[in-house]
Amino acid sequence: MKDKRISLEEAIALVPDGCSLTAGGFAHSHQPLGFLRALIAAGRQNLSIMGVAECWVAEWLAAAGMLDKAWFSNFMFEGFGRCRRFSEGIEAGRIATEDHSHFGMVMRLVAGAERLPFMPMLSEGGTDIASTAGIERPEDKLRIVESPFGGGERVAVTSPLRPDVAIIHAARADASGNVQLDGATAVLEEQAAAARTVIVTVEEIVEAGEIAANPAATLIPGLYVDALVHLPYGAWPTGMYGYHDPDMDFLGSYYEASRDPASCTKWIDEHLRGPVDHWDWLDRAGVARLLALRTDPVLGYRPAEDAA
Amino acid sequence: MSRDALMAIAAAREINDGEVAFIGTGLPMVAAYLAKATHAPTVTLVFESGIIDPAPLELATGVGEYRLAYGATAIRGTRAALTLLQQGKVDLGFLGTAEIDAYGNLNSTTIGDYRRPKVRLPGSGGANDIASMAARTVVIARTGRRRFVEKLNYLTTPGHLTGPGARRQAGLPGDGPIRVITDMGVLGFDPVTLRMRIERLFPGFTPDQIQAEIGFQLEDPGEIVMESAPDAMTLELLRRIDPAETYVKLQEK
Repeated sequence: MKDKRISLEEAIALVPDGCSLTAGGFAHSHQPLGFLRALIAAGRQNLSIMGVAECWVAEWLAAAGMLDKAWFSNFMFEGFGRCRRFSEGIEAGRIATEDHSHFGMVMRLVAGAERLPFMPMLSEGGTDIASTAGIERPEDKLRIVESPFGGGERVAVTSPLRPDVAIIHAARADASGNVQLDGATAVLEEQAAAARTVIVTVEEIVEAGEIAANPAATLIPGLYVDALVHLPYGAWPTGMYGYHDPDMDFLGSYYEASRDPASCTKWIDEHLRGPVDHWDWLDRAGVARLLALRTDPVLGYRPAEDAA
Repeated sequence: MSRDALMAIAAAREINDGEVAFIGTGLPMVAAYLAKATHAPTVTLVFESGIIDPAPLELATGVGEYRLAYGATAIRGTRAALTLLQQGKVDLGFLGTAEIDAYGNLNSTTIGDYRRPKVRLPGSGGANDIASMAARTVVIARTGRRRFVEKLNYLTTPGHLTGPGARRQAGLPGDGPIRVITDMGVLGFDPVTLRMRIERLFPGFTPDQIQAEIGFQLEDPGEIVMESAPDAMTLELLRRIDPAETYVKLQEK
């Protein structure tokens, strides 16, 4: 298979103004924030997000003034609270929304991934998710139909979503982009299969034989992947299972700054737009800080006494 | 008396041994591990992050936290975890909310107009899915007239919708909410109207006190059970499960 490796700068160029993104991750875990930082530093406008749980991606795009639309199911910061710039952007009418349940959002991505005109499912019916116009007309998102096979069973059907670009941070891949990831994967498989362009950043590039030695662990086969970027600590300050915990102090420093639009902009300028490249971003964090986040290989996290 | 402790104990009681329970962040996590440590040792816990049946050594602060993955028997994607609901594999799910109406419908989306809301809330997440498809659900909600409202700003998550028959019409397989655990007592639903009524009172509370904190008329209760104070062993278990009192404070402020 073709060698998919490119530089971060080349990968950033694959994301044009006005495109729709979907990004990996869940809560404070494996969000592609190294890539996102570089995208924000490069500057883009009028982006959309089609997401399930990539709260930091949505929030930082909103804080950088780059986000116009959001198809999503839930963005909030566990342990902190609501995503302020994202939420206030909606309240101010700057960001248009289309709400879903998690399963509803996943099934729209599945319909897109399977190239089907709709997917049946058994949630969302009877609610304002099904009946309120957001970005789309309600009937273009969800309808309740009777089974075409008789019996009168009523079932919701939901229409496909195909994001222009999926951005995923994973543990390891070979040069062809056969991707493996440890821990909870969230929606990565569906996102990769639904998106028109798939960019993967990884902690480690390994020999092809290492992937082939454990093929059952390959989450996304290389044939889905368009671009592969070697980006250690590419999820930081969110965590990466098997590598490091989330950096709750750094995430907390953003959350504190986001109380006020002016201090938030200052934080974004300093921390996201300031670094000249990924290595400068990590240098500013400091090697001691980054290494202190490394997880216990048996537990899968940093035990409380080490973290203290 | 700690209202948190009474709520966690009441929530734990809803979990039966041998069942599959879908658990979110917060008080339900403490309740689930209390049930597992006492009357429901073989309950299987499932989380929307895709973590199935874990054995965490410490209380996690979120369903996506690595602490929660320890000892899991399977880790799948979010789709697989939510599909368990659609497949009818999940007996019980817990829900929280910003607003709740008399039929147990919930709002976690917006306050005010959808496109220009006064307050934008986080959105459904898995709540709509749990409420639509789990065999039964239990809502956890502190009382207050701004939370218990006659009319929701937005119906995110289905309870009994508009009453008997409405869930089937909307294509929802689960039976909907059976209880609402508040900080004053436990509410249930009138079997005929499917509107809320009082079932149990926590020590020291009266029906009038609950009604005063609820923005719609509760149905006439059947027999009301008076809850007794928790025993020392249960409180000690709560202390061990949540030693930092992240979700369950054992002393009232």
